[in-house]
Amino acid sequence: MKSKPVEKKRKVRDEESDSESDDELANGLFDGVLEASEDEEDYIPSDEIDDVDSESEVSEGSEDAEEEEEEEEGDDDALLSDDIPSDDEMGKLSKDAEELEITEPGVDPKPKHQEEEDRNYKVVKDANGGERYVYDEIDPVYDSDDSDAQGPVNTIGNIPLSFYDSYPHIGYDINGKKIMRPATGDALQSLLDTIEVPKGWTGLTDVNTGNPLNLTQEELELVRRVQHGLVPDEGYDPYPDTVEWFTSKQETMPLSAAPEPKRRFLPSKNEAKQVMKLVRAIREGRILPYKPPEEREREEEEKEEVQFDIWQDEEPAAPNPMHIPAPKLPPPGYEMSYNPPEEYLPTEEEREEWEKTDPEDREKEFLPQKFNSLRKVPAWGTLVKERFERCMDLYLAPRVRKNRLNIDPNSLLPKLPSPAELKPFPTVVQTIFRGHEGTVRSIAIDPTGVALATGGSDGTVRVWELLTGRQVWSVKLSSEDPVYTVRWRPTKDAFVLAASAGEDVFLMVPPHSSVTPTLDQASRDVLAAGFGYATNGQQPATAPGKEPAGKWARPGTKLEDAGVLVRVTVRSAVKVITWHRRGDHFATVSPEGQRSSVAIHTLSKHLTQIPFRKLHGLAQTVVFHPLKPLFFVATMRTVRCYDLQKVELVKIVQPGAKWISSLDIHSGGDHLIVGSYDRRLLWHDLDLSNRPHKTMRFHPKAIRAVRFHKGGLPLFADASDDGTLQIFYGKVPNDQLESPTIVPVKQLKGHKVVNQVGVVDIDWHPREPWCVSAGADGTARLWM
Amino acid sequence: MAKIKKKGQSGQAKNYITRTQAVKKLQISLPDFRKLCIWKGIYPREPRSRKKVSKSATASTTFYYTKDIQYLQHEPLLQKFREQKVLEKKISRALGRGDVSDAARLERNAGRPDQTGKPRYTLHHVIRERYPTFIDAIRDLDDCLSMLFLFANLPSTTSVPAKMIARCERLCHEFQHYLITSHSLRKSFLSIKGIYYQANIQGEDVLWLVPYKFNQRVVGDIDFRIMGTFVEFYMTLLGFVNYRLYSSIGLKYPPKFDQTKDDKGAELAALTLEGVNLATNEETTKAITNGEGHGPDPKVQAEVDKLVKKLRTESAADKADEEMADGEEEEEEKATDAIDKFEPAAPGGDVLPQPTYSGNNPSKLFANCTLFLSRETPRQSLEFILRAFGCKRIGWDPILGEGSFTTDESDPSITHQIVDRPIVQAATTEQGDGEDNQTAQKLGPNQRYPGRIYVQPQWVWDCINDEELKSPELYAPGASLPPHLSPFVKPTQGQYDPTVPLEEQETEGEALDAAIEDAKDEVESDEENSEADNDMDVADDNDNDEEEDSDAEEDEEVEDEEDEDEDEEEVLQRQRELEAEISGKAVKSKQVDPKLKAKLEKKKALERKKKEEAEDLERAKGMLSKKKRKLFEQMQYTNKKKSTEDMKLRSKRRKLEKEKAAGKA
Repeated sequence: MKSKPVEKKRKVRDEESDSESDDELANGLFDGVLEASEDEEDYIPSDEIDDVDSESEVSEGSEDAEEEEEEEEGDDDALLSDDIPSDDEMGKLSKDAEELEITEPGVDPKPKHQEEEDRNYKVVKDANGGERYVYDEIDPVYDSDDSDAQGPVNTIGNIPLSFYDSYPHIGYDINGKKIMRPATGDALQSLLDTIEVPKGWTGLTDVNTGNPLNLTQEELELVRRVQHGLVPDEGYDPYPDTVEWFTSKQETMPLSAAPEPKRRFLPSKNEAKQVMKLVRAIREGRILPYKPPEEREREEEEKEEVQFDIWQDEEPAAPNPMHIPAPKLPPPGYEMSYNPPEEYLPTEEEREEWEKTDPEDREKEFLPQKFNSLRKVPAWGTLVKERFERCMDLYLAPRVRKNRLNIDPNSLLPKLPSPAELKPFPTVVQTIFRGHEGTVRSIAIDPTGVALATGGSDGTVRVWELLTGRQVWSVKLSSEDPVYTVRWRPTKDAFVLAASAGEDVFLMVPPHSSVTPTLDQASRDVLAAGFGYATNGQQPATAPGKEPAGKWARPGTKLEDAGVLVRVTVRSAVKVITWHRRGDHFATVSPEGQRSSVAIHTLSKHLTQIPFRKLHGLAQTVVFHPLKPLFFVATMRTVRCYDLQKVELVKIVQPGAKWISSLDIHSGGDHLIVGSYDRRLLWHDLDLSNRPHKTMRFHPKAIRAVRFHKGGLPLFADASDDGTLQIFYGKVPNDQLESPTIVPVKQLKGHKVVNQVGVVDIDWHPREPWCVSAGADGTARLWM
Repeated sequence: MAKIKKKGQSGQAKNYITRTQAVKKLQISLPDFRKLCIWKGIYPREPRSRKKVSKSATASTTFYYTKDIQYLQHEPLLQKFREQKVLEKKISRALGRGDVSDAARLERNAGRPDQTGKPRYTLHHVIRERYPTFIDAIRDLDDCLSMLFLFANLPSTTSVPAKMIARCERLCHEFQHYLITSHSLRKSFLSIKGIYYQANIQGEDVLWLVPYKFNQRVVGDIDFRIMGTFVEFYMTLLGFVNYRLYSSIGLKYPPKFDQTKDDKGAELAALTLEGVNLATNEETTKAITNGEGHGPDPKVQAEVDKLVKKLRTESAADKADEEMADGEEEEEEKATDAIDKFEPAAPGGDVLPQPTYSGNNPSKLFANCTLFLSRETPRQSLEFILRAFGCKRIGWDPILGEGSFTTDESDPSITHQIVDRPIVQAATTEQGDGEDNQTAQKLGPNQRYPGRIYVQPQWVWDCINDEELKSPELYAPGASLPPHLSPFVKPTQGQYDPTVPLEEQETEGEALDAAIEDAKDEVESDEENSEADNDMDVADDNDNDEEEDSDAEEDEEVEDEEDEDEDEEEVLQRQRELEAEISGKAVKSKQVDPKLKAKLEKKKALERKKKEEAEDLERAKGMLSKKKRKLFEQMQYTNKKKSTEDMKLRSKRRKLEKEKAAGKA
């Protein structure tokens, strides 16, 4: 625009002046805008009245401002200022510049302005023709005290504008003139719509004037600066050069004459402390030079990943004996292959069954599959889960060391002798002895092994030829009581049979083909010897009024003719008779007999004694030790061993059975077998323990009788209510340390079960491996 | 009088402690306790008598040794846990106050493991405690490797951070590199679950499972916190093990890692091993892969050609060799350093195990081969196995990733190509145009490069398991493969073994049954044949024969009276004969040929024997004590179960073989 080089200097100043006169011009610009925007005639008079000069000045200013704008920015403004002649402007500018040349920078040009116009009022004529002072409007420049006065102020006070809604004006200015309502409505609206939104348009309405409130260029600039976080005032320098007042200039005269204090020359302790604090923090790594967080993280990771040989100084330590290492997973087998041999593939049924079973119950957790090519193998669906389960096992499963016996199970089995080695033992029934009515209660083979005696429920005692089964002799001992037991006297010097019926024990000498007259006489003498003893008055005197333990008498002529020679009557029914090996004593048991249930009888003296004042439990059966003066009494639960010489209890054997039924002792005297009604057969080694050495439970029903073979064969047998006999091979070794060999060898079946009673009694032949049994079916059988 | 002992004051009650008690004693939370137990290897114990130990009636209480818990009390990690707890409290307090920046600062400092995948504490001391010697660590490596290989193949989630996966992958690759350089991989097995590998490291066998390269499905309720705790421990362990292993063969650890190569899917080739030469401080870089750059060396080429020729002639002359082998071997025997095989001269002596690696060196198995992997083959496992068994040059399709010896399928140096695609029945005219441009494949569907052996991937596995290059004919593309057998199964006496012919392992009874069945089938078919063209004359002849037969039978009857079944049968037979005579027809049924008869008799004898044995057993069992009897029965039970399983397998195989034979006929 300004092309002349001569005016360069001026131009610079020109710009300066522009910037300085901004404040002054600001107002004018505002007015100008107002003027431009309003076409109403009403308002013009007020302006005319105001001042023509000021108006021209204002318009000049506005033009000036617009000029500036044009230089900087858009074309729109250029359009506006097009009609203004540039020469005119130049002249004004030069005039301004001249004025400004005098002024000092930084000082407001306002005072000059006032100087130029001395009077700030005009004298006009009022309605009456008198003088009236009309004051100029105060132009509140920067320095002005009046900061409120801004343009035509509406003086209606603090009341809502709506009060003036029905008037054409909206209030009064400071001079009492009406301020007319600016034009609104459709005409203007449409006009505004057609043109573009002007710069600084806010869309608000000025309360005081009712005009639209638009922002000026300065205000826009201000907003922009605030928005950008700059200092709002453009000219303000927030960082001015320091004005050094004291430091750099050497003052000729000091401000204070006081001598420098000592502390000025000593290092500060506090500072040293602070510094040391930092130093320490740096040394310890608490304060680190700044690094971006990512870089720091990476570094730290690297630091953590530092590897070294952790086993450099390894020492093999003995493993903790309590530590159980986790068992390794078993290696995969053939069936786990992706392409297994075809026999491993499940059949249709197996697959179905596998799918049917609950996943927890499955034996294998997978079904073998076959893929004919590796590319067809899919991912294993439960791999993560399986691994997780392994993890759980590793930390949560209790570990127990279990000894797995990796041996052949057959090595556990005892070495049994073959059945051939165990022979001989009875296998088949040889003879059946029929004749008894009802149960055969007891059976016994005589010591020579030719005669068999049986006693039955019909009250008879019968003697049979053993091998032929012919009945030799029979006697009816009682009509109401059954014969509970028959036992031969165990020596061969006499042929004496003892039988019990009810409370009576009969001793008899049955006639037999093998009995020679001398033997017969000897037997009768054995029985008769006691009568002489009794008559000698050696019978111990019993307390008067007290029943004697046993009454020895002759049974009467009828029985005596038959061969029954002696009758011993005890207090209650006798169930068991046991002979001492020498044949001089026999013991009887009458289980209901309370304290007198066990009685020992001496044949040579016809004497009956009751050895126990008191018994623990009901006596079931008794047996004499074959070698020593010991006497075994079986009560329901226990077997008690008494020394007859010292009269004391030697030991209590506890078979553990609920109800002992029978008892027998091995001919060696160290082993005992016990049968019980609770189906057990118990072998006791008396030297070893009070508890059973072996418990055999082969019978489904109660055991009634047990018996060792007394003639040197290692056999024993038991009889049970299930109608069978069981024959065992029971070898007692000579060596004390060895345990006896017990082998079940044979079950003999043949007896019928009557009223849930099978075989009642059993006896062995004294020499041969034969045995006889008495059954509830009324027969006795010889097995060989 | 002695002081009365109170219950629960001494003995077992003091030796054991419940989990709740333990947690209370250590004053930590249950998750922390779990972590501690996993890391320190503390596991629950089963007291001998639960009743004596537990004060409460609950059956499912977990017991630990009191000593174990006391040992945990001195654990430095406990302090770390407590610090962590304090920090978490601070953070939550800051958040409660609304002081987010403070919370963020605290958290940044915390280095929380689930954020970064790395804890601020280290598990070094724990590793040293649990594995006082290196061999101890090797022994316990099975689970570690399986776990890390699985995690290396998992997708990253919030519970499994990507960093953890990356580290797992790297550790696994490092470990694989050791196995490759030291040639300590021994066996591998393709199972349906994944690929099992077995390596022998310093005399210890290590077996682990690597899943197939698929996205792993996470099914069921899996607590990844527990898995993560294990993985954290295992990562530390494998790091140290790798260090030791690398330094044992004179390599620098960690090996150089090339991120760009790894990004391109080079996997194993992303790591570069470096030797450590302390004296000269000179690091010799070992080219581990493929000898890229020095192209087809003329020497190598010549060798390869020679080998190819050799292989071809070998495969042709294979059968002839095999026949001659027995005779020749003795002649060829020379004095070697190898261990001699001791054969027992007389039965009854103990069998002493001998090391098997004596003859051919398995680490050079593929040394003379150049392999090319088609794009459908599992590259990672194949690369690893082939490298471990001495293969230096492996090429593969570029789609399989970086790091191959060659990506050019037409490279003339390739001796073997591994393909796993079916033979396509495509017209030859169509080929060439419709190819996808992704791969470097330029050949038609069924076209082959000449002078190269095409095999299916299973060939590689069978080769390494048998330690010899198997004949590739069986493994030709499209051929139905021979069964892939597990190399980990040790044959035991009496157990079914699919490699042994059926006749050698079936029991007497089974063989008899089978023979009888065969004979019967034959007879039936014969009868059918004869029936068709029978007339009365022939029938008469039959009658005569029968009479003679029956006479002979009568004689036999006298001999074995006890055989009642036979008697009955004979009675029936007689009956039938009579009926036939009356009706005037020929007796068709029970035309028993003597062979079958003999077999039937044998079977009966066998059964009788069995019966007797069973009786004997029953008797002997009666003499056992209750405890021993139960043990015996249990053992019998398991043995029986095994044997029935084997029997089932044998019968299935018999059936299959029969079908096959029938199919051939």
